Amino acid sequence: MPTPTRSLETHGIPIARRPRRSRKALISLGYFVIPLVVLVSLWQLATTLNPSPFFPPPLAIAENLWKLLFGGDALVTELFFTDFLTTVGRMLAGFAIGTAWGIVVGTIMGRSRAARETVTPIVELLRSIPATATLPLFIILLGGGDDMRVVFIAYGVSWFVLINTAAGVGSIHKTMLDLGQVFKVSRTRQLFTIVLPAAMPKIFAGIRIASTAALLLAIVSEFILATNGIGFQLIQAQGRFQLLTMWSWMLALAILGLLINSLLDYVEGRVLSWHKLSRARI
Amino acid sequence: MTDVQPKSTHAVPGDPGALVVVDNVSHTYGSGSTAHNAIRNLAFSVQPREFVSIVGPSGAGKTTLLRTLAGLLSPSSGGVWVEGKRISGVPDDMAMVFQDYSRSLLPWLSVEKNVAFPLGGSKHSTAERHEIVRESLEAVGLDGFGKRYPWQLSGGMQQRVAIARALAYRPKLLLMDEPFASVDAQTREGLEDLVLQIRDRYDMTILFVTHDIDESVYLANRVLVLSRPPAHIVEDLRIELPEPRDQITTRENPDFVHLRSRVARLVHGGTPEG
Repeated sequence: MPTPTRSLETHGIPIARRPRRSRKALISLGYFVIPLVVLVSLWQLATTLNPSPFFPPPLAIAENLWKLLFGGDALVTELFFTDFLTTVGRMLAGFAIGTAWGIVVGTIMGRSRAARETVTPIVELLRSIPATATLPLFIILLGGGDDMRVVFIAYGVSWFVLINTAAGVGSIHKTMLDLGQVFKVSRTRQLFTIVLPAAMPKIFAGIRIASTAALLLAIVSEFILATNGIGFQLIQAQGRFQLLTMWSWMLALAILGLLINSLLDYVEGRVLSWHKLSRARI
Repeated sequence: MTDVQPKSTHAVPGDPGALVVVDNVSHTYGSGSTAHNAIRNLAFSVQPREFVSIVGPSGAGKTTLLRTLAGLLSPSSGGVWVEGKRISGVPDDMAMVFQDYSRSLLPWLSVEKNVAFPLGGSKHSTAERHEIVRESLEAVGLDGFGKRYPWQLSGGMQQRVAIARALAYRPKLLLMDEPFASVDAQTREGLEDLVLQIRDRYDMTILFVTHDIDESVYLANRVLVLSRPPAHIVEDLRIELPEPRDQITTRENPDFVHLRSRVARLVHGGTPEG
Protein backbone atom coordinates (compact mmCIF):
# COMPACT_ATOMS: atom_id res chain seq x y z
CA MET A 1 0.00 0.00 0.00
CA PRO A 2 1.20 3.52 -0.69
CA THR A 3 2.21 5.55 2.30
CA PRO A 4 -0.55 7.79 3.56
CA THR A 5 -0.65 11.17 1.92
CA ARG A 6 1.30 13.69 3.92
CA SER A 7 -0.64 16.82 4.51
CA LEU A 8 0.80 20.04 3.17
CA GLU A 9 0.36 21.58 6.57
CA THR A 10 2.86 19.21 8.14
CA HIS A 11 5.38 20.85 5.81
CA GLY A 12 4.36 24.23 7.15
CA ILE A 13 2.83 25.24 3.86
CA PRO A 14 -0.54 26.88 3.83
CA ILE A 15 -3.03 25.19 1.55
CA ALA A 16 -4.79 27.29 -1.06
CA ARG A 17 -8.31 27.17 0.21
CA ARG A 18 -11.06 27.61 -2.29
CA PRO A 19 -13.37 30.39 -1.14
CA ARG A 20 -16.58 29.05 0.33
CA ARG A 21 -18.67 28.96 -2.82
CA SER A 22 -22.18 29.01 -1.44
CA ARG A 23 -21.62 31.90 0.94
CA LYS A 24 -19.85 34.02 -1.65
CA ALA A 25 -22.52 33.31 -4.25
CA LEU A 26 -25.24 34.33 -1.82
CA ILE A 27 -23.57 37.63 -1.02
CA SER A 28 -22.96 38.53 -4.64
CA LEU A 29 -26.55 37.55 -5.42
CA GLY A 30 -27.63 39.99 -2.73
CA TYR A 31 -25.57 42.80 -4.25
CA PHE A 32 -27.14 42.01 -7.59
CA VAL A 33 -30.78 41.38 -6.65
CA ILE A 34 -31.45 44.11 -4.10
CA PRO A 35 -30.55 47.13 -6.29
CA LEU A 36 -32.39 45.52 -9.20
CA VAL A 37 -35.58 45.06 -7.18
CA VAL A 38 -35.37 48.63 -5.86
CA LEU A 39 -34.79 50.07 -9.31
CA VAL A 40 -37.57 48.10 -10.99
CA SER A 41 -39.99 49.00 -8.17
CA LEU A 42 -39.21 52.69 -8.57
CA TRP A 43 -39.67 52.40 -12.32
CA GLN A 44 -42.95 50.54 -11.85
CA LEU A 45 -44.17 53.16 -9.37
CA ALA A 46 -43.19 56.11 -11.57
CA THR A 47 -44.78 54.71 -14.72
CA THR A 48 -47.98 53.71 -12.91
CA LEU A 49 -48.39 57.11 -11.24
CA ASN A 50 -47.51 58.96 -14.41
CA PRO A 51 -48.49 56.81 -17.42
CA SER A 52 -46.67 57.49 -20.68
CA PRO A 53 -47.03 55.63 -23.99
CA PHE A 54 -43.25 55.82 -24.43
CA PHE A 55 -42.31 54.22 -21.13
CA PRO A 56 -44.60 51.33 -20.23
CA PRO A 57 -44.39 49.86 -16.71
CA PRO A 58 -41.83 47.04 -16.37
CA LEU A 59 -44.38 44.45 -15.29
CA ALA A 60 -46.41 45.17 -18.45
CA ILE A 61 -43.24 44.73 -20.54
CA ALA A 62 -42.42 41.42 -18.89
CA GLU A 63 -46.01 40.20 -19.21
CA ASN A 64 -46.11 41.16 -22.87
CA LEU A 65 -42.82 39.39 -23.55
CA TRP A 66 -44.17 36.26 -21.90
CA LYS A 67 -47.24 36.52 -24.13
CA LEU A 68 -45.10 36.99 -27.24
CA LEU A 69 -42.94 33.95 -26.59
CA PHE A 70 -45.00 31.58 -24.45
CA GLY A 71 -48.59 32.89 -24.74
CA GLY A 72 -49.97 30.45 -27.33
CA ASP A 73 -51.70 27.11 -26.94
CA ALA A 74 -48.45 25.20 -27.35
CA LEU A 75 -45.51 25.39 -24.97
CA VAL A 76 -43.97 28.20 -27.01
CA THR A 77 -45.40 30.51 -29.67
CA GLU A 78 -44.51 30.60 -33.33
CA LEU A 79 -42.62 33.82 -32.74
CA PHE A 80 -40.32 31.94 -30.39
CA PHE A 81 -39.16 29.82 -33.30
CA THR A 82 -39.40 32.22 -36.23
CA ASP A 83 -37.78 35.20 -34.53
CA PHE A 84 -36.26 34.53 -31.12
CA LEU A 85 -34.50 31.26 -31.96
CA THR A 86 -33.60 32.49 -35.45
CA THR A 87 -31.64 35.37 -33.98
CA VAL A 88 -29.98 33.08 -31.43
CA GLY A 89 -29.04 30.65 -34.21
CA ARG A 90 -27.54 33.33 -36.45
CA MET A 91 -25.67 34.79 -33.55
CA LEU A 92 -24.24 31.47 -32.38
CA ALA A 93 -23.23 30.40 -35.90
CA GLY A 94 -21.49 33.72 -36.58
CA PHE A 95 -19.87 33.71 -33.16
CA ALA A 96 -18.57 30.14 -33.57
CA ILE A 97 -17.18 30.70 -37.07
CA GLY A 98 -15.67 34.07 -36.17
CA THR A 99 -14.06 32.69 -33.01
CA ALA A 100 -12.58 29.69 -34.80
CA TRP A 101 -11.24 31.89 -37.58
CA GLY A 102 -9.85 34.38 -35.08
CA ILE A 103 -8.04 31.67 -33.12
CA VAL A 104 -6.53 30.11 -36.26
CA VAL A 105 -5.31 33.38 -37.80
CA GLY A 106 -4.29 34.82 -34.43
CA THR A 107 -2.23 31.72 -33.64
CA ILE A 108 -0.43 31.90 -36.99
CA MET A 109 0.27 35.60 -36.41
CA GLY A 110 1.48 34.96 -32.88
CA ARG A 111 3.79 32.12 -33.91
CA SER A 112 5.32 33.41 -37.12
CA ARG A 113 7.06 36.73 -37.26
CA ALA A 114 6.84 36.83 -41.05
CA ALA A 115 3.08 36.25 -40.91
CA ARG A 116 2.69 38.87 -38.21
CA GLU A 117 4.59 41.52 -40.12
CA THR A 118 2.76 40.82 -43.37
CA VAL A 119 -0.71 40.60 -41.93
CA THR A 120 -0.66 43.29 -39.22
CA PRO A 121 -1.16 46.32 -41.53
CA ILE A 122 -4.12 44.62 -43.21
CA VAL A 123 -5.62 43.64 -39.85
CA GLU A 124 -5.17 47.14 -38.44
CA LEU A 125 -6.79 48.72 -41.48
CA LEU A 126 -9.75 46.36 -41.70
CA ARG A 127 -10.57 46.31 -38.03
CA SER A 128 -10.61 50.12 -37.93
CA ILE A 129 -13.68 50.04 -40.17
CA PRO A 130 -16.68 49.75 -37.83
CA ALA A 131 -18.08 46.29 -38.53
CA THR A 132 -21.61 47.72 -38.87
CA ALA A 133 -20.39 49.88 -41.77
CA THR A 134 -19.54 46.78 -43.76
CA LEU A 135 -23.12 45.46 -43.74
CA PRO A 136 -24.12 47.15 -47.04
CA LEU A 137 -21.12 45.58 -48.74
CA PHE A 138 -21.96 42.13 -47.38
CA ILE A 139 -25.55 42.53 -48.63
CA ILE A 140 -24.34 43.37 -52.14
CA LEU A 141 -21.80 40.54 -52.15
CA LEU A 142 -23.88 37.81 -50.54
CA GLY A 143 -27.51 38.89 -50.82
CA GLY A 144 -30.06 39.22 -48.04
CA GLY A 145 -30.12 35.64 -46.76
CA ASP A 146 -29.09 33.94 -43.54
CA ASP A 147 -25.63 33.10 -44.88
CA MET A 148 -24.90 36.79 -45.37
CA ARG A 149 -25.89 37.55 -41.78
CA VAL A 150 -23.78 34.74 -40.37
CA VAL A 151 -20.74 35.78 -42.42
CA PHE A 152 -21.24 39.40 -41.37
CA ILE A 153 -21.39 38.46 -37.66
CA ALA A 154 -18.38 36.15 -38.02
CA TYR A 155 -16.38 38.88 -39.75
CA GLY A 156 -17.20 41.44 -37.08
CA VAL A 157 -16.47 39.26 -34.05
CA SER A 158 -13.33 37.60 -35.43
CA TRP A 159 -11.18 40.69 -34.82
CA PHE A 160 -11.55 40.58 -31.06
CA VAL A 161 -10.52 36.94 -30.88
CA LEU A 162 -7.79 37.35 -33.48
CA ILE A 163 -6.09 40.30 -31.78
CA ASN A 164 -6.23 38.67 -28.35
CA THR A 165 -5.03 35.29 -29.62
CA ALA A 166 -2.10 36.86 -31.46
CA ALA A 167 -1.14 38.79 -28.32
CA GLY A 168 -1.50 35.74 -26.07
CA VAL A 169 0.37 33.35 -28.36
CA GLY A 170 3.04 35.95 -29.10
CA SER A 171 3.81 36.69 -25.46
CA ILE A 172 4.46 33.16 -24.23
CA HIS A 173 7.57 33.05 -22.08
CA LYS A 174 10.64 31.62 -23.80
CA THR A 175 11.18 29.06 -21.04
CA MET A 176 7.83 27.42 -21.87
CA LEU A 177 8.84 27.06 -25.51
CA ASP A 178 12.31 25.78 -24.52
CA LEU A 179 10.56 23.21 -22.37
CA GLY A 180 8.75 21.78 -25.37
CA GLN A 181 11.97 21.64 -27.36
CA VAL A 182 14.08 20.08 -24.62
CA PHE A 183 11.61 17.24 -24.09
CA LYS A 184 11.29 16.75 -27.84
CA VAL A 185 7.59 17.45 -28.00
CA SER A 186 6.26 17.57 -31.57
CA ARG A 187 5.21 20.96 -32.89
CA THR A 188 1.56 19.96 -33.02
CA ARG A 189 1.67 18.77 -29.43
CA GLN A 190 3.50 21.93 -28.39
CA LEU A 191 0.69 23.95 -29.93
CA PHE A 192 -2.05 22.10 -28.06
CA THR A 193 -0.28 21.41 -24.76
CA ILE A 194 1.77 24.57 -24.27
CA VAL A 195 0.98 27.43 -26.64
CA LEU A 196 -2.81 27.44 -26.67
CA PRO A 197 -3.32 26.71 -22.95
CA ALA A 198 -0.82 29.45 -22.06
CA ALA A 199 -2.62 31.89 -24.34
CA MET A 200 -6.07 30.81 -23.14
CA PRO A 201 -6.62 33.61 -20.60
CA LYS A 202 -6.11 36.23 -23.32
CA ILE A 203 -8.08 34.24 -25.92
CA PHE A 204 -10.96 33.96 -23.50
CA ALA A 205 -10.95 37.70 -22.87
CA GLY A 206 -11.37 38.11 -26.64
CA ILE A 207 -14.19 35.57 -26.68
CA ARG A 208 -16.04 37.55 -23.99
CA ILE A 209 -15.99 40.71 -26.09
CA ALA A 210 -16.84 38.72 -29.21
CA SER A 211 -19.97 37.29 -27.60
CA THR A 212 -21.32 40.76 -26.87
CA ALA A 213 -20.43 41.91 -30.36
CA ALA A 214 -22.13 38.86 -31.89
CA LEU A 215 -25.50 39.77 -30.39
CA LEU A 216 -25.10 43.39 -31.41
CA LEU A 217 -24.21 42.53 -35.00
CA ALA A 218 -27.00 39.93 -35.24
CA ILE A 219 -29.61 42.57 -34.34
CA VAL A 220 -28.13 45.21 -36.64
CA SER A 221 -28.05 42.72 -39.52
CA GLU A 222 -31.77 42.07 -39.01
CA PHE A 223 -32.66 45.73 -39.35
CA ILE A 224 -32.13 45.56 -43.11
CA LEU A 225 -33.67 43.19 -45.68
CA ALA A 226 -34.83 40.74 -43.01
CA THR A 227 -38.14 38.89 -42.77
CA ASN A 228 -37.61 37.54 -39.27
CA GLY A 229 -35.47 37.81 -36.16
CA ILE A 230 -35.56 40.01 -33.08
CA GLY A 231 -34.05 42.94 -35.02
CA PHE A 232 -36.77 42.58 -37.64
CA GLN A 233 -39.48 42.50 -34.93
CA LEU A 234 -38.05 45.64 -33.34
CA ILE A 235 -38.21 47.55 -36.64
CA GLN A 236 -41.75 46.25 -37.30
CA ALA A 237 -42.92 47.35 -33.85
CA GLN A 238 -41.32 50.73 -34.35
CA GLY A 239 -43.10 51.15 -37.70
CA ARG A 240 -46.43 50.34 -36.11
CA PHE A 241 -45.69 52.45 -33.07
CA GLN A 242 -46.07 49.40 -30.76
CA LEU A 243 -43.85 50.66 -28.00
CA LEU A 244 -44.76 47.94 -25.55
CA THR A 245 -43.62 45.32 -28.07
CA MET A 246 -40.39 47.19 -28.71
CA TRP A 247 -39.65 47.25 -25.00
CA SER A 248 -40.51 43.56 -24.74
CA TRP A 249 -37.99 42.58 -27.41
CA MET A 250 -35.39 44.74 -25.76
CA LEU A 251 -36.05 42.89 -22.52
CA ALA A 252 -35.66 39.62 -24.42
CA LEU A 253 -32.25 40.80 -25.63
CA ALA A 254 -31.22 41.79 -22.11
CA ILE A 255 -32.10 38.32 -20.84
CA LEU A 256 -30.31 36.70 -23.76
CA GLY A 257 -27.19 38.77 -23.10
CA LEU A 258 -27.24 37.86 -19.42
CA LEU A 259 -27.64 34.17 -20.25
CA ILE A 260 -24.70 34.19 -22.64
CA ASN A 261 -22.58 36.00 -20.11
CA SER A 262 -23.37 33.58 -17.29
CA LEU A 263 -22.69 30.65 -19.59
CA LEU A 264 -19.27 32.08 -20.46
CA ASP A 265 -18.64 32.77 -16.77
CA TYR A 266 -19.30 29.13 -16.07
CA VAL A 267 -17.07 27.90 -18.89
CA GLU A 268 -14.30 30.28 -17.85
CA GLY A 269 -14.55 29.06 -14.28
CA ARG A 270 -14.01 25.51 -15.47
CA VAL A 271 -11.37 26.08 -18.13
CA LEU A 272 -9.37 28.84 -16.48
CA SER A 273 -9.66 28.11 -12.78
CA TRP A 274 -5.88 27.50 -12.71
CA HIS A 275 -5.30 31.01 -13.98
CA LYS A 276 -7.40 32.75 -11.34
CA LEU A 277 -6.15 30.60 -8.50
CA SER A 278 -2.49 30.82 -9.48
CA ARG A 279 -2.85 34.60 -9.76
CA ALA A 280 -4.47 34.81 -6.37
CA ARG A 281 -1.32 33.28 -4.85
CA ILE A 282 1.07 35.93 -6.11
CA MET B 1 25.81 30.93 -39.24
CA THR B 2 29.25 29.83 -40.33
CA ASP B 3 30.07 26.22 -39.83
CA VAL B 4 33.74 25.54 -40.27
CA GLN B 5 33.67 22.01 -38.83
CA PRO B 6 32.99 19.05 -41.08
CA LYS B 7 29.51 17.57 -40.49
CA SER B 8 30.84 14.09 -39.77
CA THR B 9 29.04 12.32 -36.94
CA HIS B 10 31.82 9.93 -36.06
CA ALA B 11 34.97 11.97 -35.85
CA VAL B 12 34.77 12.90 -32.19
CA PRO B 13 37.51 15.38 -31.48
CA GLY B 14 39.69 14.65 -28.48
CA ASP B 15 38.42 12.14 -25.98
CA PRO B 16 36.44 9.23 -27.47
CA GLY B 17 35.19 7.93 -24.09
CA ALA B 18 33.62 11.22 -23.11
CA LEU B 19 29.86 11.73 -22.89
CA VAL B 20 30.07 15.36 -23.96
CA VAL B 21 32.78 16.95 -26.07
CA VAL B 22 32.76 20.68 -26.58
CA ASP B 23 35.10 21.56 -29.43
CA ASN B 24 36.14 25.17 -29.92
CA VAL B 25 32.68 26.57 -29.47
CA SER B 26 32.20 30.30 -30.01
CA HIS B 27 28.98 32.22 -30.11
CA THR B 28 28.29 35.77 -31.16
CA TYR B 29 24.89 37.40 -30.84
CA GLY B 30 23.99 39.90 -33.54
CA SER B 31 26.46 41.30 -36.03
CA GLY B 32 28.31 44.47 -36.93
CA SER B 33 28.86 47.11 -34.27
CA THR B 34 26.22 45.67 -31.92
CA ALA B 35 27.67 42.15 -32.01
CA HIS B 36 28.16 40.56 -28.62
CA ASN B 37 30.77 37.86 -28.41
CA ALA B 38 29.40 35.74 -25.54
CA ILE B 39 31.72 32.73 -25.60
CA ARG B 40 34.98 32.18 -27.43
CA ASN B 41 36.79 28.97 -28.29
CA LEU B 42 35.48 26.92 -25.41
CA ALA B 43 36.82 23.39 -25.34
CA PHE B 44 36.30 20.71 -22.71
CA SER B 45 34.92 17.22 -22.36
CA VAL B 46 32.78 15.59 -19.72
CA GLN B 47 33.12 11.97 -18.66
CA PRO B 48 30.13 9.76 -17.86
CA ARG B 49 28.94 10.18 -14.22
CA GLU B 50 30.87 13.38 -13.76
CA PHE B 51 29.29 16.28 -11.91
CA VAL B 52 30.60 19.45 -13.51
CA SER B 53 29.83 22.90 -12.13
CA ILE B 54 30.17 25.89 -14.38
CA VAL B 55 30.78 29.20 -12.58
CA GLY B 56 31.71 32.64 -13.75
CA PRO B 57 30.97 36.32 -13.22
CA SER B 58 27.39 37.31 -13.98
CA GLY B 59 26.85 37.83 -17.66
CA ALA B 60 29.76 35.54 -18.44
CA GLY B 61 27.89 33.51 -21.02
CA LYS B 62 27.08 30.59 -18.72
CA THR B 63 23.54 30.40 -20.02
CA THR B 64 24.74 30.72 -23.62
CA LEU B 65 27.02 27.75 -23.05
CA LEU B 66 24.25 25.68 -21.49
CA ARG B 67 21.78 26.52 -24.26
CA THR B 68 24.42 25.48 -26.79
CA LEU B 69 24.96 22.17 -24.99
CA ALA B 70 21.19 21.66 -24.90
CA GLY B 71 20.98 22.14 -28.64
CA LEU B 72 18.66 25.11 -28.18
CA LEU B 73 21.23 27.40 -29.74
CA SER B 74 23.53 26.52 -32.59
CA PRO B 75 26.97 28.01 -32.02
CA SER B 76 28.53 30.47 -34.45
CA SER B 77 31.47 28.12 -34.77
CA GLY B 78 32.70 24.88 -33.29
CA GLY B 79 30.60 21.90 -32.36
CA VAL B 80 29.21 19.81 -29.54
CA TRP B 81 29.31 16.02 -29.48
CA VAL B 82 27.08 14.01 -27.17
CA GLU B 83 27.55 10.24 -26.96
CA GLY B 84 29.84 10.42 -29.95
CA LYS B 85 27.37 12.21 -32.18
CA ARG B 86 27.62 15.77 -33.28
CA ILE B 87 24.41 17.44 -32.19
CA SER B 88 22.32 19.50 -34.58
CA GLY B 89 19.36 19.94 -32.25
CA VAL B 90 18.35 18.80 -28.79
CA PRO B 91 20.26 15.56 -28.10
CA ASP B 92 18.49 12.37 -27.00
CA ASP B 93 18.85 11.28 -23.39
CA MET B 94 19.21 14.86 -22.19
CA ALA B 95 16.93 16.72 -19.81
CA MET B 96 17.10 20.18 -18.40
CA VAL B 97 16.04 21.91 -15.20
CA PHE B 98 15.37 25.58 -15.84
CA GLN B 99 16.11 28.44 -13.50
CA ASP B 100 12.62 29.84 -13.52
CA TYR B 101 10.40 27.09 -12.15
CA SER B 102 7.35 29.36 -12.16
CA ARG B 103 7.67 29.50 -15.97
CA SER B 104 8.87 25.99 -16.65
CA LEU B 105 6.07 24.23 -14.77
CA LEU B 106 2.76 24.42 -16.60
CA PRO B 107 0.25 25.96 -14.18
CA TRP B 108 -2.78 24.38 -15.86
CA LEU B 109 -1.46 20.88 -15.21
CA SER B 110 -1.36 19.10 -11.87
CA VAL B 111 2.00 18.08 -10.45
CA GLU B 112 1.72 14.52 -11.77
CA LYS B 113 0.72 15.70 -15.24
CA ASN B 114 3.67 18.09 -15.26
CA VAL B 115 5.97 15.22 -14.37
CA ALA B 116 4.36 13.03 -17.04
CA PHE B 117 4.76 15.78 -19.64
CA PRO B 118 7.98 14.42 -21.23
CA LEU B 119 6.35 10.98 -21.52
CA GLY B 120 3.76 12.32 -23.95
CA GLY B 121 4.72 10.06 -26.84
CA SER B 122 3.18 6.62 -27.16
CA LYS B 123 6.36 4.91 -25.94
CA HIS B 124 4.85 4.01 -22.57
CA SER B 125 1.59 2.42 -21.52
CA THR B 126 -0.64 4.26 -19.07
CA ALA B 127 0.40 1.93 -16.26
CA GLU B 128 4.10 2.42 -17.01
CA ARG B 129 3.66 6.15 -17.18
CA HIS B 130 1.87 6.13 -13.85
CA GLU B 131 4.67 4.12 -12.28
CA ILE B 132 7.40 6.38 -13.69
CA VAL B 133 5.61 9.47 -12.36
CA ARG B 134 5.13 7.89 -8.94
CA GLU B 135 8.74 6.82 -8.71
CA SER B 136 10.06 10.19 -9.88
CA LEU B 137 7.96 12.06 -7.33
CA GLU B 138 9.09 9.66 -4.65
CA ALA B 139 12.76 10.26 -5.61
CA VAL B 140 12.38 13.98 -4.92
CA GLY B 141 10.38 13.42 -1.73
CA LEU B 142 7.06 14.57 -3.12
CA ASP B 143 5.05 11.35 -2.99
CA GLY B 144 1.45 12.18 -2.34
CA PHE B 145 1.60 15.62 -3.98
CA GLY B 146 0.67 14.44 -7.49
CA LYS B 147 -2.82 15.88 -7.46
CA ARG B 148 -1.73 19.34 -6.31
CA TYR B 149 -1.03 22.19 -8.68
CA PRO B 150 2.43 23.78 -8.91
CA TRP B 151 1.19 27.14 -7.63
CA GLN B 152 -0.05 25.47 -4.46
CA LEU B 153 3.53 24.54 -3.56
CA SER B 154 6.47 26.53 -2.20
CA GLY B 155 9.34 27.53 -4.49
CA GLY B 156 11.59 24.73 -3.30
CA MET B 157 8.87 22.15 -3.82
CA GLN B 158 8.15 23.51 -7.29
CA GLN B 159 11.78 23.07 -8.24
CA ARG B 160 11.56 19.50 -6.90
CA VAL B 161 8.67 18.93 -9.30
CA ALA B 162 10.84 20.25 -12.14
CA ILE B 163 13.60 17.83 -11.09
CA ALA B 164 11.10 14.96 -10.95
CA ARG B 165 9.97 15.84 -14.46
CA ALA B 166 13.56 15.66 -15.69
CA LEU B 167 13.97 12.29 -13.91
CA ALA B 168 10.84 10.92 -15.56
CA TYR B 169 12.59 11.45 -18.88
CA ARG B 170 15.39 9.09 -17.69
CA PRO B 171 18.22 11.22 -19.06
CA LYS B 172 21.88 10.25 -19.14
CA LEU B 173 22.79 13.92 -19.18
CA LEU B 174 21.09 16.47 -16.96
CA LEU B 175 21.64 20.17 -17.52
CA MET B 176 20.75 22.50 -14.67
CA ASP B 177 20.63 26.26 -15.24
CA GLU B 178 21.00 28.08 -11.91
CA PRO B 179 18.22 25.90 -10.58
CA PHE B 180 18.35 27.11 -6.96
CA ALA B 181 18.92 30.80 -7.62
CA SER B 182 15.51 31.83 -6.32
CA VAL B 183 15.01 29.68 -3.23
CA ASP B 184 16.09 30.50 0.31
CA ALA B 185 19.37 29.22 1.78
CA GLN B 186 17.93 26.36 3.84
CA THR B 187 15.77 25.06 1.04
CA ARG B 188 18.78 25.31 -1.22
CA GLU B 189 20.87 23.01 0.99
CA GLY B 190 18.12 20.42 0.91
CA LEU B 191 17.89 20.64 -2.86
CA GLU B 192 21.67 20.35 -3.27
CA ASP B 193 21.73 17.10 -1.32
CA LEU B 194 18.73 15.90 -3.29
CA VAL B 195 20.60 16.45 -6.56
CA LEU B 196 23.57 14.44 -5.28
CA GLN B 197 21.23 11.64 -4.20
CA ILE B 198 19.44 11.37 -7.52
CA ARG B 199 22.73 11.54 -9.39
CA ASP B 200 23.83 8.38 -7.58
CA ARG B 201 20.45 6.70 -7.84
CA TYR B 202 19.96 7.34 -11.57
CA ASP B 203 23.58 7.23 -12.69
CA MET B 204 23.47 10.58 -14.42
CA THR B 205 26.04 13.02 -15.67
CA ILE B 206 25.22 16.51 -14.49
CA LEU B 207 26.26 19.90 -15.83
CA PHE B 208 25.34 22.50 -13.28
CA VAL B 209 25.49 26.23 -13.98
CA THR B 210 25.53 28.43 -10.90
CA HIS B 211 26.80 31.78 -9.74
CA ASP B 212 27.15 30.48 -6.18
CA ILE B 213 30.78 29.59 -5.61
CA ASP B 214 30.23 27.46 -2.48
CA GLU B 215 27.52 25.52 -4.25
CA SER B 216 29.73 24.87 -7.28
CA VAL B 217 32.45 23.34 -5.10
CA TYR B 218 30.12 21.49 -2.74
CA LEU B 219 28.32 19.62 -5.51
CA ALA B 220 30.92 18.94 -8.14
CA ASN B 221 33.77 16.63 -9.07
CA ARG B 222 34.98 19.38 -11.35
CA VAL B 223 34.50 23.12 -11.53
CA LEU B 224 34.89 25.03 -14.78
CA VAL B 225 35.56 28.70 -14.12
CA LEU B 226 34.60 31.01 -16.97
CA SER B 227 36.02 34.47 -17.57
CA ARG B 228 34.15 37.66 -18.36
CA PRO B 229 32.76 37.69 -21.91
CA PRO B 230 33.86 36.63 -24.38
CA ALA B 231 33.99 33.67 -22.02
CA HIS B 232 36.80 31.18 -22.07
CA ILE B 233 37.80 28.66 -19.43
CA VAL B 234 40.06 30.27 -16.83
CA GLU B 235 40.55 27.07 -14.93
CA ASP B 236 39.37 23.49 -14.97
CA LEU B 237 39.50 22.47 -11.32
CA ARG B 238 39.27 18.93 -10.00
CA ILE B 239 37.35 18.66 -6.68
CA GLU B 240 38.46 15.68 -4.66
CA LEU B 241 36.45 16.07 -1.49
CA PRO B 242 35.29 13.01 0.46
CA GLU B 243 32.01 11.40 -0.63
CA PRO B 244 29.22 11.49 0.30
CA ARG B 245 29.21 15.22 0.72
CA ASP B 246 27.73 16.64 3.89
CA GLN B 247 26.46 20.16 4.41
CA ILE B 248 28.41 20.55 7.65
CA THR B 249 31.53 18.40 7.49
CA THR B 250 32.26 19.04 3.80
CA ARG B 251 31.93 22.78 4.22
CA GLU B 252 34.30 22.86 7.22
CA ASN B 253 36.86 20.65 5.48
CA PRO B 254 40.06 22.76 4.95
CA ASP B 255 40.26 21.51 1.35
CA PHE B 256 36.75 22.84 0.73
CA VAL B 257 37.65 26.20 2.22
CA HIS B 258 40.80 26.34 0.14
CA LEU B 259 39.02 25.36 -3.08
CA ARG B 260 36.15 27.79 -2.62
CA SER B 261 38.62 30.64 -2.02
CA ARG B 262 40.53 29.68 -5.11
CA VAL B 263 37.38 29.64 -7.24
CA ALA B 264 36.24 32.93 -5.70
CA ARG B 265 39.54 34.60 -6.60
CA LEU B 266 39.29 33.28 -10.15
CA VAL B 267 35.73 34.50 -10.52
CA HIS B 268 36.39 37.92 -9.06
CA GLY B 269 39.88 38.66 -10.20
CA GLY B 270 40.66 36.27 -13.00
CA THR B 271 43.89 34.97 -11.43
CA PRO B 272 44.29 32.32 -8.71
CA GLU B 273 46.49 34.55 -6.59
CA GLY B 274 44.59 37.82 -7.24
